[in-house]
Amino acid sequence: MRIPCPYCGSRDSSEFSYSGDATLTRPTPDNADAMFDYVYLRDNPVGLHREYWYHAAGCHAWLKVTRNVSTHEVIEAVLAHDEAAS
Amino acid sequence: MLDLAYISAFSGLRSIGDGRGVIARERRGIAIATVMARKGQGTALAAAVKEHFDINLPLGPHGSGSVSTSFLGTGPGRWLVTHDAGTPRFVERLAQQLEGLASVVDQSDGVGLLRLTGPALLDVLAKGVAVDLNTTAFPAGSVAVTQIAHMGVTLWKVDETPTFHIAIARSMAGSFLHWLEASAAVTGLVADG
Amino acid sequence: MSISRRLASGGLIDRSRPLNFTFDGKTYGGYAGDTLASALLANDTMLVGRSFKYHRPRGIFSAGPEEPNALVTLRSGPRAEPNTKATTIELFDGLKASSQNCWPSPQFDLRAVHQLAGPLLNAGFYYKTFMWPAAFWEKFYEPAIRASAGLGALSGLDDPDTYEKSHAFCDLLVIGAGPAGLAAALAAGRAGARVILAEEDFVLGGRLLGDTAQIDGVSAASWAALAEAELGTLPNVRILKRTAVFGAYDGEYGAIERVSDHLQVPPPFVPRQRLWKIVARQCVLAAGAQERPLVFPGNDRPGIMLASALRTYANRFGVTPGRRIAIFTTSDYGWRSAFELQKAGAEIAVVVDARAEVSPEVRKLAGNAPQFLGAHVSDTSGYRRLTGITITDSAGKTRRVAVDTLGVSGGWSPSIGIATHLGGKGSWAEEQSAFLCDERPPGMQIAGAAAAQWTLAQALENGALAGAKAASQVGLGLQAQKSIVASDEASGATPMWLFKGSRRKAFVDLQNDVTATDVALAAQEGFRSVEQLKRYTTLGMATDQGKTSNVNGLAILAGEIRKTIAETGATRARPPHVPVAIGAFAGLHSGKHFKPTRLTSSHAASAALNATFVEAGQWMRAQWFNAPGENDWLTSVTREVKAVRSTVGICDVSTLGKIALCGSDVGTFLDRVYINTFSTLPVGKVRYGVMLREDGFVMDDGTTAHLTADHWVMTTTTVNAGKVMQHLEYCHQVLWPELDVQTVSVTEQWAQVAVAGPKSRDLLQALLGDAFDVSNEAFPYLACAEFHVGNIPLRLFRVSFSGELAYEIAVPAGYGEALFNALMQAGKPLGVTPYGTEALSVMRIEKGHVAGSELNGQTVARDLGLGRMMSAKKDYIGRTMAAREALVDSNRPTLVGLRPVDRSHRLRNGALLFARDVTPAPDTNAGFITSTAFSPDHNHWIGLGLLARGPERHGEIIRAWDPVRSGDYELEVVDPVFVDAEGARLRA
Repeated sequence: MRIPCPYCGSRDSSEFSYSGDATLTRPTPDNADAMFDYVYLRDNPVGLHREYWYHAAGCHAWLKVTRNVSTHEVIEAVLAHDEAAS
Repeated sequence: MLDLAYISAFSGLRSIGDGRGVIARERRGIAIATVMARKGQGTALAAAVKEHFDINLPLGPHGSGSVSTSFLGTGPGRWLVTHDAGTPRFVERLAQQLEGLASVVDQSDGVGLLRLTGPALLDVLAKGVAVDLNTTAFPAGSVAVTQIAHMGVTLWKVDETPTFHIAIARSMAGSFLHWLEASAAVTGLVADG
Repeated sequence: MSISRRLASGGLIDRSRPLNFTFDGKTYGGYAGDTLASALLANDTMLVGRSFKYHRPRGIFSAGPEEPNALVTLRSGPRAEPNTKATTIELFDGLKASSQNCWPSPQFDLRAVHQLAGPLLNAGFYYKTFMWPAAFWEKFYEPAIRASAGLGALSGLDDPDTYEKSHAFCDLLVIGAGPAGLAAALAAGRAGARVILAEEDFVLGGRLLGDTAQIDGVSAASWAALAEAELGTLPNVRILKRTAVFGAYDGEYGAIERVSDHLQVPPPFVPRQRLWKIVARQCVLAAGAQERPLVFPGNDRPGIMLASALRTYANRFGVTPGRRIAIFTTSDYGWRSAFELQKAGAEIAVVVDARAEVSPEVRKLAGNAPQFLGAHVSDTSGYRRLTGITITDSAGKTRRVAVDTLGVSGGWSPSIGIATHLGGKGSWAEEQSAFLCDERPPGMQIAGAAAAQWTLAQALENGALAGAKAASQVGLGLQAQKSIVASDEASGATPMWLFKGSRRKAFVDLQNDVTATDVALAAQEGFRSVEQLKRYTTLGMATDQGKTSNVNGLAILAGEIRKTIAETGATRARPPHVPVAIGAFAGLHSGKHFKPTRLTSSHAASAALNATFVEAGQWMRAQWFNAPGENDWLTSVTREVKAVRSTVGICDVSTLGKIALCGSDVGTFLDRVYINTFSTLPVGKVRYGVMLREDGFVMDDGTTAHLTADHWVMTTTTVNAGKVMQHLEYCHQVLWPELDVQTVSVTEQWAQVAVAGPKSRDLLQALLGDAFDVSNEAFPYLACAEFHVGNIPLRLFRVSFSGELAYEIAVPAGYGEALFNALMQAGKPLGVTPYGTEALSVMRIEKGHVAGSELNGQTVARDLGLGRMMSAKKDYIGRTMAAREALVDSNRPTLVGLRPVDRSHRLRNGALLFARDVTPAPDTNAGFITSTAFSPDHNHWIGLGLLARGPERHGEIIRAWDPVRSGDYELEVVDPVFVDAEGARLRA
């Protein structure tokens, strides 16, 4: 599989490590229940999914990749930093 | 007084096979630094680099350089800077020049540098690099941080001869040479200098 | 003396280059351009092996990669390769091949008695027969079955050849260089697209090589050669011969290039095979089609072949496989083959067409040969070679015709396997009588016979169109294509799946010996889906994956269950489309090159001191140093420990992960990733820190030094360096992008050596002289400094893992070896001793420091006695989850020291811990031993362990139970710090 890194360009997926659901937000520390959900509970959607991929063997950027998990088609990849900072 | 002998990373580079398909030379005595933009200082950093080095700081995976100093884009807000004019304590000076705008970390000993050229070079690199290095996709000046045989490398296409500069972690120099020899021997690997 | 079946002239072989080869020990001659199969046929050798189950004599059946029968072992000794298809082996001088699955020879096979048991060996035979007693399966049934049934055997020797991988990128990948593929490559190549044309064969042309048709006024084979020549002039086109595309993957294709398979031994530095990963924006699948055999009684005798294969042998190789040839067909192509064979000089004895009506033009193709329409072959005779066929005509009358060869033609099956690799399925097109593929990988078109464009003219036109379309898809302008003019051919076909006749077996799958009766039986027993049919009967399994049998098999199944073929469907094809050697997937990464090796700068110097090395992640670290007269590791390690505890030792610790953290917010950042506080750490100081995963468990530990205001350096454990880096990047890129923090690994930049022992200060003094003041006042415990000696930058940290007065000194890695040697030199008068990871480990166990065996992903800080470090004043990663009830339970196993009650007893990691008075059982288990060492200080074995309510139990005698190693002994629970509990030494 190829992933279009926004910085490096099209790269082999073996350069990345996968880190799952990118739609979660780290809850405030006092909310133990929310923290439990954040750490353990994941949806398993069919079709489009936003996921974290880390370009470990490339630019070291964390990406948010929109991917169709049924067809493996990658729709979009953006820098997670830019989204988090905005 | 402490006086220590210096050993370069690719002292094990040797010729193998017949022919001159790939010509490899270790680039020695190069000062190398990782330059990382401080929070919110990207524009000011570019201006400072322009002022001190007359270099347009590349914003993508490209290199731009003057005669002796090059800035290679290796990640968002991150560059690998090489300097081969032998300025003493170049990295310290660079850190001072970019004070407050970028964090500068010395990597002069962290990587070994090779200059690779030769008619078979693209075919040989294709045996390890999963990036399209053809002129249309990767013109001279392009930079790629990627991997070869599970080893991290930074590649820079210097010209369309083609000539590449390549940086590899020092501890993996031996394993990298094994890959290079195994891949280039069929067309001949010449250790040049 | 064998007869030559080689024609006097013709074919694409090079008669000026004769080659010798041996098959089953007998020497034969052939020519350059032959395959092993064509050369064997030229020598009148049809019988090449025995069948899988029944050991029936089997001959060469096809002329290509679909071959189900002619599997041979190529070469001998370590280079022997079983199950290679004689029909695809390119002949070379000195080739040696041998038959498989027969003993002593294919002519006379003792195991042919299996045929007598035929009625027993039907579908599901193994499942039904060898069910009981269950214990017999492993010891008796399976070895016996494997010995008598099956394919060739591996040599069991190491492969002496090398394999490599390569990557390629293109606008268009064309799979197959037949008429459609060549036309596609020409169209796209002329338009300027970057094209890769991959062809499995060693000559481009596909069906053109076996045809006498005319294209653009020249012979089909000449046209192929001209096309190749033109493609060769285009710098944007790469032709890969002997290269089979074996799979479509997400966004890329896998291909295997048989670089040296046509050579006796690969030349120096040349791999045997090369695995290609091809990233292609567009793809044209032009893999052609396979002729379908016909299913009738006795259809497996040597001499019965695909009619198109007979044609290929005649036209491409100048060989007529038989003296008198019959054709049995349900398509116009059978007649075409009869025509071409006659043209090549073969005798056609009869043409039998099961269709009642055939056009006069097509019938003309048979010339003077007798013709039977609406008739079929109902029986055959001959054991090692076909001797005759029985024809049942439309009136039901039978007659026997003596022939030694029968060409069968049941229409064509498009080769769409690769198109379905990403999950698409073939769907039955009634009109074309073929499975076609509509749901294809992105960017893929199918052209030519693979898209049921049967005639030559259609294939050429269709291929050119696909090539032009692919070029325009990648943004290249459409070029005016000159049309290609090819001679016309008839392409009518009516599929007929099963012909009745004698009681002989009618084979559907020749490779797996599956008959029409087996298919019927499977259906009758309820295996009514094609996927079940495949598994139950083995139809379509093994090396050919049913390339000649799948469609016939499922069509017969459809008849049995009274469904249409469209309703029945086909099995799903998965990669690889052709067998690929495991060695090709490994490439260079075999043996000690399985993964890269990282060497420290002191590696050579340590080797010179007789170090034994151990793998730590990718690193090689000195484990211990063997001194003269030492015969076992424990002696060496004990000596090293004693030296450090009494004088001074040095140890390369460069492999620990080192991460530079820069920016004005590093203190805040570290407070959030470590459980303890770092923002208060002054410049020039080092602090030990522990970081958790977000789930509350310990991730890693190490020290972080505050070098200058905005520059810190963190150390990680050797194996977790990458993981911690990834974690820190996540934290500052995703969680807290507002912080001014930059991180980069400097593990490789600095060579770092631990200098430990009461005389370590003396050693540094001797090394550094006046350059730096290492006195306790100027440089106390947990101090750090950065300074230059001459132009060499140095870093000094006063940290201790051993519990002794100790330092770590770092220089740029280029000076690493020199530093190690300089320390050895300067330390000579002090008795300096190099020590390895074992001594390091002994000393950290003596000090009760946790390491990898305690940081095992299942422990929280409290378990390790580090609970007091957890700051209550701030949030940090893992804090909330670490507060969960189960993780603060005082019954959790917690770090303790352990020593044997019988001091002579050796402790071993992993032994289970129990209270003295309980019966060992899962529910009474109280923990386990995590680390053990022989302590030279105490002169007995000691250990660290995780024990329920451990800290309350100091002084208690417990039981260590180690059933795997027959251990059952008593331990005393003690404080985990065995040496210098007050910590006076490290502050000395």
